[in-house]
Amino acid sequence: MKLAGLKSVDNAHDDSVWTATWVPATDERPALLLTGSLDETVRVWSPDELTNVATNTGHCLGVVSVAAHPSGVIAASASLDSFVRVFDVDHNNTIATLEAPPSEVWHMQFDPKGTTLAVAGGGSASVKLWDTAEWKLIASLSIPRPEGSKSSDKSGNKKFVLSVAWSPDGKRLACGSMDGTISVFDVSRAKFLHHLEGHFMPVRSLVYSPVDPKILFSASDDAHVHVYDAEGKSLINALSGHSSWVLSVDASPDGAAIATGSSDKSVKLWDLKMRTAVQTLSSHTDQVWAVAFRPPGGTGVRAGRLASVSDDKSISLYDYS
Amino acid sequence: MEEKEEEVVVDGGGDAFVLRQLQDSIDSNPNDSLPHLNLGLILWKEESKEIREKAAEHFLIAAKLNPHNGTAFRYLGHYYSRVSIDYQRALKCYQRAVTLSPDDSESGEALCDMLDGGGKESLEVAVCSEASDKSPRAFWAFRRLGFLQIHQKKWSEAVPSLQHSIRGYPTCADLWEALGLAYQRLGMFTAAIKSYGRAIELEGSRVFPLVESGNINLMLGSFRKGVEQFQQALQISPQNLSAHYGLASALLGLSKECTSSGAFKWGASLLEEASNVAKASTCLAGNVSCIWKLNGDIQLAYATCLPWTEEGWELETDDEAFRTSIISWKRTCHSAAVSACSSYQRALHLAPWQANIYTDIAIASDLICSLKECFKQDHNAWQLPEKMSLGGLLLEGDNSEFWVLLGCLCDHSALKQHAFIRGLQIDVSLAISWAYLGKLYGEEGERQLARQAFDRARSIDPSLALPWAGMSADIYARELTPDEAYESCLRAVQILPLAEFQIGLAKLALLSDHLSSSQVFGAIRQAMQRAPYYPESHNLNGLVCEARFDYQSAAVSYRLARSAISTFAGNVPKSHLRDISINLARTLCMAGNALDAVKECEELNKEGLLDSEGLQIYAVSLWKLGKNDLVLSVANDLTASALSMKQPSRDASVTLICRLLYYISGLESAVICILKMPKELFQSSKISFVLSAIHALDQSNRLLSVVSRSRIFLASPEETTRMHFLIALSKLVKHGSEECLGIQSGVKHLRKVLHMYPNSDLIRNLLGYLQLSSKEWKDTHIASRCFIISPSGCLEEEGLKSAYEILGAGAVACYTTQNYKMKFSFPTCECQCLHGTRAIRQLQKLLHQEPWNHNARYLLIINYIQKAREERFPQYQCDLLRRLINVALSCQLYSKKDKSSQYHMSQLLLCASEISLQGGDHIGCINYAKNATGLLLSDNYLFFAHLQLCRAYAAEGKLSSLHEEYIRCLELKTDYPIGWICLKFIESQYGLQTELNLLELCFENCSKEIKSSLNVWMAVFSLAQGLIAIWTKDFLHAEELLARPCSLAGAESCLFFCHGVICMELARQLCDSQFVSLAIRSLKKAKETSVDALPIVSVLLGQAEASLGSKVKWEKNLPLEWFSWPPEMRPAELFMQMHLLSIQGSVSSDSSSSVEFCQSPQSWILRAIHLNPSCLRYWKVLQKFMGVTSGM
Repeated sequence: MKLAGLKSVDNAHDDSVWTATWVPATDERPALLLTGSLDETVRVWSPDELTNVATNTGHCLGVVSVAAHPSGVIAASASLDSFVRVFDVDHNNTIATLEAPPSEVWHMQFDPKGTTLAVAGGGSASVKLWDTAEWKLIASLSIPRPEGSKSSDKSGNKKFVLSVAWSPDGKRLACGSMDGTISVFDVSRAKFLHHLEGHFMPVRSLVYSPVDPKILFSASDDAHVHVYDAEGKSLINALSGHSSWVLSVDASPDGAAIATGSSDKSVKLWDLKMRTAVQTLSSHTDQVWAVAFRPPGGTGVRAGRLASVSDDKSISLYDYS
Repeated sequence: MEEKEEEVVVDGGGDAFVLRQLQDSIDSNPNDSLPHLNLGLILWKEESKEIREKAAEHFLIAAKLNPHNGTAFRYLGHYYSRVSIDYQRALKCYQRAVTLSPDDSESGEALCDMLDGGGKESLEVAVCSEASDKSPRAFWAFRRLGFLQIHQKKWSEAVPSLQHSIRGYPTCADLWEALGLAYQRLGMFTAAIKSYGRAIELEGSRVFPLVESGNINLMLGSFRKGVEQFQQALQISPQNLSAHYGLASALLGLSKECTSSGAFKWGASLLEEASNVAKASTCLAGNVSCIWKLNGDIQLAYATCLPWTEEGWELETDDEAFRTSIISWKRTCHSAAVSACSSYQRALHLAPWQANIYTDIAIASDLICSLKECFKQDHNAWQLPEKMSLGGLLLEGDNSEFWVLLGCLCDHSALKQHAFIRGLQIDVSLAISWAYLGKLYGEEGERQLARQAFDRARSIDPSLALPWAGMSADIYARELTPDEAYESCLRAVQILPLAEFQIGLAKLALLSDHLSSSQVFGAIRQAMQRAPYYPESHNLNGLVCEARFDYQSAAVSYRLARSAISTFAGNVPKSHLRDISINLARTLCMAGNALDAVKECEELNKEGLLDSEGLQIYAVSLWKLGKNDLVLSVANDLTASALSMKQPSRDASVTLICRLLYYISGLESAVICILKMPKELFQSSKISFVLSAIHALDQSNRLLSVVSRSRIFLASPEETTRMHFLIALSKLVKHGSEECLGIQSGVKHLRKVLHMYPNSDLIRNLLGYLQLSSKEWKDTHIASRCFIISPSGCLEEEGLKSAYEILGAGAVACYTTQNYKMKFSFPTCECQCLHGTRAIRQLQKLLHQEPWNHNARYLLIINYIQKAREERFPQYQCDLLRRLINVALSCQLYSKKDKSSQYHMSQLLLCASEISLQGGDHIGCINYAKNATGLLLSDNYLFFAHLQLCRAYAAEGKLSSLHEEYIRCLELKTDYPIGWICLKFIESQYGLQTELNLLELCFENCSKEIKSSLNVWMAVFSLAQGLIAIWTKDFLHAEELLARPCSLAGAESCLFFCHGVICMELARQLCDSQFVSLAIRSLKKAKETSVDALPIVSVLLGQAEASLGSKVKWEKNLPLEWFSWPPEMRPAELFMQMHLLSIQGSVSSDSSSSVEFCQSPQSWILRAIHLNPSCLRYWKVLQKFMGVTSGM
């Protein structure tokens, strides 16, 4: 289990790169890397050379999140002013524009079947679900307020929702908030199930294990990555090693490892069996905002790939084996 | 050859015609075997006995004629075995056929079947190996051989045979299955899994490969895959015992994996599933010992991993509910243990020779005892666990692990020691035995021996948890630092999540300051699940929650800890109860529940258990409740006892006393009390900060000596800079007047400090903040230079304002720092800001890191509106701003009534109003501005809301309302000169002049307060007046007004520029050369003072100097003008001027380097016309020019 640097593109964007995701392969082309940046553009890169295939403009402020549909045909990008632009990856045609009040769009993820887009609703303390056929808002999963607090209470602000993750079976949705709690929802009943406790600073990134729908990984500003039993609501493991905020976490397709990016400018690879970081990569010179493993699939592509993007405007690509 | 002909005949056969033809050929050539054979084949197709006998005759003839033809022998074999039932002959014929053609699978199979039927296995093997030796294409023989070798358990020989035969029959599932089995037996597990996988792929309904690959996966530890495969097998064959057994043991394995990582609930749910499966299999076969043992294992695991959950109970309020919930949890565990014990007994009953089942029973009954808490009364009698483990030993006396078990389960320490040592005698490297021996010595107080034993165990097997835990428990004897002890205990917990270890970890975390760490949180939560009856687990959980600022949960935990003490713990020292109660009081106080905290303290007081920490909490809670008299008496108690306290708690008491005195009795009496207190109390840096803060507010400086003495105790540079921070703030207060802070003296102090501590962000930020607060002309520029934005942007900053806030505010305050694009404006200010254009990006970064940060959003909005203003309010930016502002306005934070949120609110409303105004929505504009006028702000700021209303009414054309608002502005007055200047413009444009020139008076009043940059503001005001005079075409007056600022503010190019322009205009109108020379002077100054080249200045200067007769200077200035414009913005007239220059022809001589100038006069004209085709003058010039050139 190791990462080997393949390619790094300096100045991939004109300013900090904030988000990255892989667009799954289609029949015509291999998987592509999608990045979003403070320079208000979304760029498409083809592996392994990381050539810039396209640059999509249209956002008025920095791009905070990109999400790719499991079919690999469409993707969504969202900026600080909370416009979500849904577009055709290959032709950059706008398919839909979803609008929410600013501060109410943060991370986004398509569900595994691709019928729903979940959007972490920031200050609204909820997760918004958009139907991907008609692009209509179908549900809003709100985090219940703690008992005894009124609706006008300012503590609602503490539930600012930053991150969202679908379980691999599409039945559960988890979202992470600014106060460090993670909320788990039953999607089919649109019902809040329970909180997962353990973090006490913002939870910026969440991902379910691709092999076990119970296991959830979370990255938080308290410099820890937690492994939860999301159904039994218990903290299984806390991984420490980063010296500053953990900004992003992603699980490898085989479910044996996770990668994290942090404010301490490093990317770490963690062996889940050994429960330790097996590798620390410090090629970035500023905080690493996103790490993303390439999903399996595509013709003749077996090798694992990890991409990381950073405030230093660069993108790095690694071989995972 | 023969085969082929045979086929031809068969294809067309069945025909009477073919029969006749064959008969004919037999008749014509009786010695040829082929027609006989073919005829026989056709006849053989008929099922009837008679015809087949006929066919046999032909085969016989054919065989006789050609004894090398295998086909004839094969069919003869068929005939003897099926028709005439003569096995001996059949065997011989088949044998002959196989010998002749070893590839003949039909005869081969038939031969082997016959041999098999006769039980002649060795002959069968011989036939197959002979055939396989003869031809590599005899796949049937390889297959047969492979199966036979599997049957004879010759695994390594079977593999090549099977591999070879798979080449012939690649889709035969049996072969793959057999190959898998061979690999499995040879220990080649991955190859085996692959072969089984292929068999399953070929035939999905096969149970054997599913079960076997499941078993292999269990062996390899991939329980998850194993579970899947066994479940699949059970779907195919629901009664399959081995699949049941496999599934149950896979689930058990998986649950053990979960439990060892601490996921007890998950593990328990898996075990419930496993137990159901195991029960089903005991129903299928009740007489298999190992199934009962498995069932016992599952139940035992369940009893040791079922977590206690606090859900659904109102535990913190109800002791009884807490008790029943724990008892019912215990009962479930107990019954699982009992059922495990009975399962083991059944297993033992079925197989009494198995020693390990005795030990299993011993373990289970020990667990039952511990869950029932039955106290062993008679120490001489044999206890059940002890006895059973001896049973195991009697059967297998040389099993070292049994000895260790005996040691663990028995009660007599001598016997324990003997058992462990016995185990070590059998196996000296038995780490577990060393570890338990260490534990035993530790309990007996033999520290040295314990240490040696633990060290030995650890060096043999570092993956054993107990030695690590033992090491950390031995913290004092080993002289470990708390950190080291914590680390080794953490290792123990990570290896084995045992409640005892976890509680120990939390205790060590308390010592080593790791309480807020995630590992401790996870550990103590798990400890609570497994040891809910133990008060310390709740108490420590409370401490962990408190360290994470979760006071509600902490209070609940402390209450649970107290109920646990009263229900389960029996006799506990009072100090323990007191500690928990003080913890509870403290956390209640922190959670804001002062009333309950006071109650707790009072109860402790009644029992006389209130110590100094308790008193502090008592005082704070009372103060929160407003019972000031009581607080003062408690404070007196504290003061009295302070001298006798130990160090950290003494400091805490003294700082608390000082602060309470200040808050309750005010500055005066606080100072007096502090002066009365013994000086020995003030010997710490923390106290020094409190004293300095009080001293800062005291104008009469009575505490000076106390403060300066206490400052000796400041140790680190960090503390020193923080003290300087405080001193700077105190200078603001002490050197300021009633209404105005002495910002300059604070700034002076900070500059000195910064010189000493240049890397202190705290000082830098405060300096920036103070600079921004000052109203002097250039301080905002300096502000943006004095702070550093940390590159990685972790925003853990202390102090009043963060670097980001100063950046954002500074960028708005100083317009020039914001120049995004040259095409919109030209900076005239000489202060160039370093990260000016980056402000909006930086603020977005801040917002991205802290999306909940309202201040960041606010700063982004006001910076963005500056950008939009510069770009003349393009539509998309207005939309963006409108959305951002709407969200910001709806934010609840701004409903607060404090000054700064009201100010933010008013700024946002004015921004919204401006956006509406720019979008032509006058009503919206007026509404927003009116809202802003209603805020609770000083007149200073309200002025601007009314100013905005003036603009709105002016835009709408409501002159009467405009007048009202104008008067209102004059009444309100503001300290900000810019407000008056704006009002002046409105006044003159709409003729709102009042008598006495009230506005000018107000302006002068307000600018008096600004000391050093008064002149600048006077200059700007004159500039405004001059511009107004130009509107009214009163140029002479305008010149007079514009000349004033030039003398007042020496360094502003824009002022000189304006003056130069008006002089040129006057010179043109009055034809007075005096104005020309004035213009030249001002324009030259403008050129000198501006940082970047200003457009128009050069061309005007050139013209002015040309009109005084210096053509050369005009020629020099014009190219300068060319470069002062950004390329896309050059006006048509400039091209026209360049045309004139190029006609002169002299330009090429001095600036030939520039390609831009090497153009013909005609192309200059054409480009001018292209830019502005509506100007007749250019066309005329072109006409003239064409006339001239054609004339030439």
